[in-house]
Order: sequence, then structure tokens, then C-alpha cells
Amino acid sequence: MKATQNLDAQDGFAMTFNKPNGWMNSFIPWILPALFFMGWFLVSRFEIIPAYLMPSPRQVGEAGVMYAFGTPGEGPYAGRFWVDAWVSCGRVLAGFSLAALFGIPLGVLSGRVDAMQKTLSTSINALRAVPGICWLPLAMVWFGIGYKTTLFLVALAAFFPIYINTAVGARQVSPLLFQAGAMLGVRRMNAVFSILLPGAMPSILAGLRLGLGISWAYLVLGELTGVPNGLGAVIMDARMLGRIDIIIVGIVLIALLGRTSDLLLSGVFRLCFKSARRLA
Amino acid sequence: MTTQLKLIPGHKKELQAPPVLQVSKLSKVFKTGDGPMTVLQDVHFQVAEGEFLCVLGPSGCGKTTLLNVLAGFEKPSAGKALLEETPIMESGPDRCVVFQEDTLFPWLTVKENIAFGVKGLSKKEKREKTNHFLDLVGLTPFGDYLPREISGGMKKRVSLARVLILQPRILLMDEPFGALDAQTREEMQDLLLSLWNQFHHTIVFITHDIDEAVALADRILVMQKDPGMIAKEIRVRLSRPRERTESSFQDYCKALYQALKKPQP
Ligand SMILES: Nc1ncnc2c1ncn2[C@@H]1O[C@H](COP(=O)(O)OP(=O)(O)O)[C@@H](O)[C@H]1O
Ligand SMILES: [Mg+2]
Repeated sequence: MKATQNLDAQDGFAMTFNKPNGWMNSFIPWILPALFFMGWFLVSRFEIIPAYLMPSPRQVGEAGVMYAFGTPGEGPYAGRFWVDAWVSCGRVLAGFSLAALFGIPLGVLSGRVDAMQKTLSTSINALRAVPGICWLPLAMVWFGIGYKTTLFLVALAAFFPIYINTAVGARQVSPLLFQAGAMLGVRRMNAVFSILLPGAMPSILAGLRLGLGISWAYLVLGELTGVPNGLGAVIMDARMLGRIDIIIVGIVLIALLGRTSDLLLSGVFRLCFKSARRLA
Repeated sequence: MTTQLKLIPGHKKELQAPPVLQVSKLSKVFKTGDGPMTVLQDVHFQVAEGEFLCVLGPSGCGKTTLLNVLAGFEKPSAGKALLEETPIMESGPDRCVVFQEDTLFPWLTVKENIAFGVKGLSKKEKREKTNHFLDLVGLTPFGDYLPREISGGMKKRVSLARVLILQPRILLMDEPFGALDAQTREEMQDLLLSLWNQFHHTIVFITHDIDEAVALADRILVMQKDPGMIAKEIRVRLSRPRERTESSFQDYCKALYQALKKPQP
């Protein structure tokens, strides 16, 4: 008892740091962003980098407000955010859903069925080794510019992490749990839903989250090809008009949407599945 | 013979009943990298209604394999295993297993684990039944805990409750208390005996622990290794509750120790 107390006293800093609700914990994540903003402010204040390359925080902030809340027609980008975000989110959702629709069942199959694993793994790993951007020219030839190409790129890129993580999770569910289930009267097919998927849930969710993150990356790639709207399109458009402030606004908004969608995904899974709530 | 009959007082009709479990000339051969390996050879025994049978043997002698055949997880290579004269084909809730390892579903609470196999009841009936069995194993305050939040002994209680609730014809237990500390193990043995005294389950209990076998069993089958077969059968004629310190208890332990040690012809 005594020894532990002494240790705690010496390790005061570590203690605060590790406490789940310590003030340090809510403070620490903001240190880097704060430093970054200070640096940015100083750089533009003293014109170390010229404004046409790196606009000031204030200019970017104003551009952002204009982009999100301006009246359409007021300026080149005024008020476009909602349409762009809506379109982009729709594309991510569609591509990501497609990836999950194929990734989870195929992952489960190759995690549990040896023949399936042998059939799929070499081909899928070979495809996975191809950088996603290589598909862009082919996709543009096949699907033209716009929605279909974006969908294809997003679905393809998000598929691999979902498939691989699901397979790993499915493989790791202990055979003893299936025996226990069978002994308690679970039929073979029911075991997929009552034992396999819950048991593999942490991996499946990890795969989905990785896949969703990648979806946003490939969304932008798809939209850069020159579609009329979407966050990627805005960034591309702004580049041609030399509006660095809008490019930065676009980047920040994609980061925000990416993070929000990740939280939403985890939240929905926690809400819907005991296993996600209790294991992940 | 007589000791086994007195376990079910007042059930005259069942005294003539056929054995619950009949294992005859059972063999199991595994194909391995270096040829076939005979793990069980000509295992032959019966278990009567309400009997507490222990199978005692050194590790690797095929105890788990025997239990896997009885549970229906493995098919015998030769011979038969009959549950009430029906051949055992696949696993099912009439032959419930308490495993050596922890096999609770980690995403379900204690209560949900216990209720897992219960079917065909209304929500309310199911809840009441679950609470009843939760209480039987002394875990009422822990019903909403997750498996990772409770101790090893408590997990075993849950494992026991989730099979007892299904009222299996036979209870198969594979070194269930092997991983517990000595004190918890004795608590669990006492719990199991008190439940058995109330409900007269038919139990096949596998162990490598001589003390445990003598404390629990009506009859002990001693298994030998390479190949796994039954070397000796000992009926434990001790009154219950049994005292480990008594000399008659110790005599049984010595006899079993000799039986396990004796080189087989
Ligand atoms: N599926 C299997 N394939 C090959 N050998 C097995 C298999 N299962 C068990 N064995 C072998 O059978 C022997 C008995 O194993 P087991 O029944 O687990 O023994 P115990 O439970 O008595 O310790 C061991 O030598 C083990 O390696
Ligand atoms: Mg074993």
C-alpha cells in the first residue's frame, strides 16, 4: 500500500496524464493546432510567404464563411458548400456502401472457408498492390468523367481494408465459441449472425472505419477529374482560378466531414450492435 | 450396483430404466502428419440416470477427445455412443458441455449468456427463468456484468448456469475447474454437488485431479495413455458430504494414485 502511494506521488505528471477525464487530456490535442495557427498567423503577418501562395488565416476564414453562408450569386463560391457537401457525401456513401456490401460477405467467406481463402487471397492481394490512382485512367475510359468514375474509385479503394479486416476478424473467432453455440442449439447458418459476426465485430468495424477514411481520399480524386460540383471539384476549380483560400477551405471541410462521418459510423454501430458497444 | 440406485430415491420406475449413456467399443483414430494416431481404443462404459461419473487420466490421454465424441463434435472411428439408445450424431442441447476453456460469449452480459440457448418462451418467462438460474449459481448481483469484468470462478458459474437452464439429459464437463485456484475450485465443487443433490443430473466429469474425482464421483473410470483406454473402474463408496481429511477418503486417493502410476501391460 505504502509503496504504491509513494509511486503515485512521484509520478504526479504521469498520473494526471493517464486519468481518463483529467484536464490535460482535453487540452493536449489542441496544442498542435494552436501552434500551427500561431505559425500561420506569423508567416502571413510578416509576409514570409507571399499572400498569393499562402493567404492569411483571416482571409481563409472569410472565404470559408462566404462559401458556407454567402448568398448564391454574391461571389464565385458563395453559398455553394451545402450542395457540394451533399453531393460529395452521397458519393462517399454510395461507394462505401458498395464496398461494404462486397467486402464483408467476401471477407467472412475467406476468413472461414479455406477453399474461398485460397481462391480469393492471391488475386485480391495482387489487386490491392496496385495503387488506387492507377485505376483512374481506366475508370475514365470506362465510365467517363463524374459520378460513375468517382463511385468506382471509392468502392474499389474502400473494399480492400473492409475485406481484409473482416477476413482477419472472422478467422480469429475461436472455434470453441462455435462449439459452445452448437452445444446450446445454434444451427449452422444462425451461427453466422449470432456468433461469427459479433465475434468479428471489432475487426469489421476497424475495417469499415479505414475504408470510410479512404473513401474520402478517393472521392476527391474522382471529383478532381472535372465534375461540376462536389468538394473535390471546388478544390480543382479554385486551383485554376488561383483561389488558394478556397483550396484551404475545401481541405479543412473535407477533414471535418471525414472526421464527422467516422464518428457517425462508430456511433451508429455502437447504437445498433451490442458487440460493437462492448468489444470495440 | 446398490450405491448407484440409492441416488434416485422414490423413482422406482427409473431404476429399471436403460442407461442414459452407453459407450461401446469406441475408438478414435486421428490422421496426422506421421500416420494414423490411435487416441481412444475400445472405450466401453455406461452411465446410469442420475449418476455422477468421473473420468480420471493424465493429460493427453484422450479425455477431451472422448468428451468431444460424446458431445457430437467428433465422429468415432469405430464403436458407438448412444444417448438413450439413439446414436449421437451431432451436438445439441440434450448433451451440454462445460468446457475446459472460457467459452462465454464476450459480447453478452452474464444474463444474456445464461439465456443464450433458451427458446420458445415469452420475454417475461425467459427473464424469470434466467434470473432463477442466475440465483442458483449465486450470481444475482452480477447479472449485467460482462464476462471480462468477472473472475474465473464466476465465469465457470455462468458456464454452468447457461447449460443447466436447458435441462440437458446429460451434463458433460471437461476439467471445468482445472484453471481455478484451489479455494475457488473447492467452492465450485461444492456448488456443483449441491445442485446435483437437488436436481440429480446425470454427469460425466473429466478431470486429472485425483482429489477432485474422489470428492465428486459415484464411480471413477481411470484412463491410461497411448492409446487412451479405460484401465480401471473404481466405485466410490463414501457417504456424502465427503471429508477430504478422513482416512477412507485418503485410501481412495492412494488407490487411484497407484492405478494411475501402474505401468500398463
Ligand atoms: N484433432 C486432432 N488431430 C490430431 N490429434 C489430436 C486431435 N485432437 C487431439 N489430438 C491428440 O490426441 C491426444 C489426446 O488429446 P486430448 O483428448 O485433448 O487429451 P486430454 O484432454 O486428455 O489432455 C493428444 O496427444 C492430442 O495431441
Ligand atoms: Mg483436455
